[in-house]
Amino acid sequence: MAHAYWEMCNWEYRNLRMFLPMLTSVLVLQGAGLVLGIGLFFHHIPPSAALYVATGVPVLNLLTLGLIFEPQIVADRRAEGSYEFLRSMPVPRSMMMLAWYTVSLVPSLPALVLSLVVAVARYHLHLAVSPAIIPAIVATSLTGTLLGYALAHGIPSPMVTRLASTTLIFILFGFSPIMFPASQLPAWLVSANRWLPFGSMATIIRSALVHGLATPAGAGRAYVTVCAWGALAALVSARVVRHRR
Amino acid sequence: MLGLRGRGKSRSEAFADTQHAGTAHGVEDWVFRAENVTKVYRNGVRANDGISLHVDPGEVYGLLGPNGAGKTTLVKQAVGLLKPTSGTITLGPYDLIESPAAARQLCSYLPQAQPPIESFSVHEAIQLCGRIRGGRTSVVKRRADELIEALDIGEWRDTRGIRLSGGVKRLVGFAMVTVCPGRVVILDEPTNDVDPLRRRLLWNQIRELGNRGVAVFLVTHNVLEAEKSVDRLAIISGGRLVAEGTPSSMKSEDRGNLRLQLMLVPGCDTPEMPAFCHHATRVGNNVVAVVNENDAAHAIGWAVEQIGEGTAEEYALGATSLEDAYIRLTGEAPGDDGTE
Repeated sequence: MAHAYWEMCNWEYRNLRMFLPMLTSVLVLQGAGLVLGIGLFFHHIPPSAALYVATGVPVLNLLTLGLIFEPQIVADRRAEGSYEFLRSMPVPRSMMMLAWYTVSLVPSLPALVLSLVVAVARYHLHLAVSPAIIPAIVATSLTGTLLGYALAHGIPSPMVTRLASTTLIFILFGFSPIMFPASQLPAWLVSANRWLPFGSMATIIRSALVHGLATPAGAGRAYVTVCAWGALAALVSARVVRHRR
Repeated sequence: MLGLRGRGKSRSEAFADTQHAGTAHGVEDWVFRAENVTKVYRNGVRANDGISLHVDPGEVYGLLGPNGAGKTTLVKQAVGLLKPTSGTITLGPYDLIESPAAARQLCSYLPQAQPPIESFSVHEAIQLCGRIRGGRTSVVKRRADELIEALDIGEWRDTRGIRLSGGVKRLVGFAMVTVCPGRVVILDEPTNDVDPLRRRLLWNQIRELGNRGVAVFLVTHNVLEAEKSVDRLAIISGGRLVAEGTPSSMKSEDRGNLRLQLMLVPGCDTPEMPAFCHHATRVGNNVVAVVNENDAAHAIGWAVEQIGEGTAEEYALGATSLEDAYIRLTGEAPGDDGTE
C-alpha cells in the first residue's frame, strides 16, 4: 500500500508539474485577488467584513483544486480517452485518491498562507493562529477532495462534469457563508447551509484563526458536519471508482 | 481493502504470481479463459454474445473484427473496466470478474487511446509504470532502456509527451505496459499511428513477450501483419466469435483459391463481377475477389479486358491471405495500415 501510494504521488506530481507553477500562481492570485478585490466593493470595508473575507478565502484556496479542478481534469481524461489507462493500473483506488490529495496540497497551502498575509497587511487584521488550524485544514481539504473525487468519477459524461464543477463555483462564492456571515443569507439558504459542508468548513478554519467568531459548540458541530460529509463522500467515491458498467 | 484473492490466495502470493510471469514457477494452469462471455449494455446493445476462447502462456493471440464487433468490450471486461452480463473470465486460479484488483495486477493493458504522458519524459513514463507494477528500480531502469532501444525511440528519451507524435506515444504506451508485464498483456490496436519500420520492431517485441512466456492478447485491424505474427486468432463479428484458429487453418477454406486484386481508375464505378469471382469487396479504388485456381486464366483475361476498357489501371493475382478469410467471414474489408 505504501509503495503504491508513494509511486502514485510520484505519478500525480509529475503529471501536474508542468502546470504546478501556473496552478500555484492562479491560486495565489485567486486568494490575494479576492481579499483585495472584495474590499473594493466598500468605500471603507467594515473590520468584521474584512475578517470574514480574510478567513473565508483560505477555504476557497483549499477547495479549488480538489473540488473544482479535479472533476475537470478527470472530464478531460475521459474525453481524450486516457482515463481508462489510469483505471487499469494496479493501484488500490484509495491510494490513487490519497496521492491526488497529497499532491493537490502543494499549490494550495502557499496560496492559503499568502492570502492570509495579504489580508492582514491590507486590512490591518490581528489573527490568532492556533494549532487547531492543522486539523481544520486537513478536514476541509480532504472533504473537498473526496467530494470532488465522487463528482469526478461518478458522472460519466465529461460535459456534465464540467457543468457541475462550474456550478459549484457559483454555489461556493455566492450562496455559501464562506466569506460572509450566514445571517446575511435568506432564511432558506441559512437552513440549507446548516447541512451543507461549505459554511462549516469556513467555521472550523475561522475558529482556528480568530477568537470569538465561533463558539466551541459551534466549531464542534461544524467539525461533525464536515467530517460526516467527508465520510459520505468517501463511501460514494469508493463505490463509484469500483463501479463497472 | 482491495485484496488479490483467488481461491484462498493472499494478496502477497498473488502479487508474487505476477513476478514469475514467463517462468515455470508453480504448477498452476495460467491459461487465460473467457467462457461464454456475454455483455449487454443498458441500451440493449449486445456487444458480446457467448464468446469463449483461451490464450495459453507464451501465445500471441489476435482478436480481429470490424468496428463495433465487440473486441474492445471483451478486453475491457478482462481487465476489470467492464463487467460481463454473464460468463466467466479466469486467469490461472483467479476469477478476473470477481476480483478486478487481481485483474489489474495480473493483466497489463494498453487501451486504444494514447496514454496520459504529456508531462512525462519517455523514460520517466516507462520507469514509473514499471515501479507502479511493483518492479525493482534497477530492473525497471534496465528494462526501460532495453525497450527504448528495441523500439528505436532513443531519440525522444528525454522528450516530454506533449511534444511526441502519435506514433511515438503509442510506442511509449506499449513500453509502459510491458516494462513489467503481467501474466497477460492485452494490447488494443498497438500499431495505430506507428510508422512501418517501427511497427516491425513493435511486432518483434510482441513476439518476444510470447517467447518469455507472457500470454499476449491483442486487438488489431492489421490483418496482414497479424497473419505473420500471431499464433492463433479469433474473428469477432456482431458480438459473436465467428472463427478461431491458426492463420493457416483460417485460410484452409480458401485452399485452391487465388486472390484477384483489380486497381480501378479513380472515379470509376465497380465493374460487374463475373461469376467466377467470389466475395468481391471494394476498398477505395481496389476491388478484391477470390477465384478458383482453375479459373485463373479467365480471371486474367477479364482483368486485362477491364484495363483495355479504361476501367482499371492494373491487376494482381496471387495466393489468398488471411484478409480474404476475414472478408469471407465478416463481409467487410479490414482497414489498411490500421485505418478503416
